[in-house]
Amino acid sequence: MKIRIDKSACVGNARCWAISDELFPLDEDGYIDIEEFEVPAGKEDLARRGARACPERVITVIEN
Amino acid sequence: MTEAASLSELTPVPEHVPETLVYDFDMFKDPAYRADPHKRVLELIDIAPPVFWTPRNGGHWMLVSHSANFEAARDCEGFSSEVLPYEKMEELLEQMADESGRIPRAYPINLDPPLHGTYRKPLQGVFSPRTINELKGHIRTLAGELLDAVAGSGECEFMAAIAEPLPVKVFLGMLGMPVDKYPEYRALVRAHMDAQASSGASDAIGRLQKVAAAMRDTIEERKDKREDDIISMLWGVEIDGRETTQEDLENYGVLLFIAGLDTVMQGIGLGVRHLAENPDLQQQLREDPSLISNATEELLRRYTFTVPPRRVAKDMEFQGVQMKKDERAMLFLPGADLDPAEYSSPEEFNLKREGAHIAFNAGPHRCLGSHLARIELNILYEELLARLPQFRMDPVRPPSFNCGHVVGVESLHLVWGD
Ligand code: HEM
Ligand code: SF4
Repeated sequence: MKIRIDKSACVGNARCWAISDELFPLDEDGYIDIEEFEVPAGKEDLARRGARACPERVITVIEN
Repeated sequence: MTEAASLSELTPVPEHVPETLVYDFDMFKDPAYRADPHKRVLELIDIAPPVFWTPRNGGHWMLVSHSANFEAARDCEGFSSEVLPYEKMEELLEQMADESGRIPRAYPINLDPPLHGTYRKPLQGVFSPRTINELKGHIRTLAGELLDAVAGSGECEFMAAIAEPLPVKVFLGMLGMPVDKYPEYRALVRAHMDAQASSGASDAIGRLQKVAAAMRDTIEERKDKREDDIISMLWGVEIDGRETTQEDLENYGVLLFIAGLDTVMQGIGLGVRHLAENPDLQQQLREDPSLISNATEELLRRYTFTVPPRRVAKDMEFQGVQMKKDERAMLFLPGADLDPAEYSSPEEFNLKREGAHIAFNAGPHRCLGSHLARIELNILYEELLARLPQFRMDPVRPPSFNCGHVVGVESLHLVWGD
């Protein structure tokens, strides 16, 4: 499973980060600091919840 | 005076607006809305079109559905935050300044991209989750002090006792302003709130000038002697590659004043009213305080309370509706967050609800202070539930509400104990 984030559309809600600061790191200004990653085994649910939490809907889950 | 007589006048509906899209709703004075705001919001969603025209208050669009708000909030070319186009506005403000003195600008809330970004960027680091987390201890102390002062009395009017003072004290502390400015700021916030709740002309400019004047000394002092506060941080940022000036700092101060005080108060007021009416929920949260952060989110969704204004920037079709340049449109966010197309059983308070609300709006103007607001709300609920026994609404003094660009609580009488 993969996560892809449209970084340019992030407005710094940090709602993803509030679900998991490990999966969704922020930059100094509180914006998402990652564009794409492979979800580690066992973290799928957390990743999905993080994606759902984004008010801007810029986090896409790509299920394998 | 009858209720109907106190509504604003009806203005003729423009020709391009079909009758089916007209619904008579006075966003400041509608009696049912003022009696119990979110009950009326649910009703509006039920009976009014998702995007409608109201002939009240000069006539304007109301965007009610989630999809309309979400789309419009992100479309700054169609929906401008500038009351007048930037150059015209600057010209006007410069002219007025000749008579009334310099007029502070609440940039970036009233600017469109790209200039919006120029003024927003410097604030981002200042309001990032990391910076704001450091304020937690201070906020908790303030909340505790205010609550302890009323705990023994068995009753209070919660707005005056807690909901109003807390954000003002947090604000002054955060900016690094002297505590003796407190009475002055509270009075200014009061005046600002009264003006928010009326559609008529008010002395907005004079008020903003006073807000700026009250900060002027602190801003000057920090210029050469930085401390651990936001004014000092703002002296250190750059706007588009240039250093900030005294005027920039006053502008930012005014922005934070307009955006970050009455909003938190009303959030607290609406949330605490729900808690007071739901003793089971209080019980559940007291037993498991780890649920409080979910409660904070769900309260923000259930009682979303800001209505940001926009100016239609060009003739266009929006979600099947013809709009004309320079018409006004309200992002009715309270409707968006109670839209059944988006949230199942939206009227239900559900601690387990997932997904995002847009109480802080979406798109480029999305609230910069949301981390601070969440922390203030969360800490207040935690301390309230820890320090007071079960509290309820005073049965003989029901709450009263204010409606406008911020929907809020005017008075909230609580009682507890026997
Ligand atoms: C529960 C409390 C709050 C709510 C519901 C709230 C809501 C909002 C909303 C809906 C907007 C968007 C306005 C628009 O689109 O025109 C906004 C913008 C803003 N808010 Fe908040 N706010 C709250 C608290 C705060 C606090 C505590 C601060 C800071 C001290 C703050 C600072 C700002 C700023 C600076 C903007 C302008 C952002 C921009 O235009 O880019 N807000 N807020
Ligand atoms: S929740 Fe969405 S908008 Fe927010 S920081 Fe994460 S990606 Fe960005």
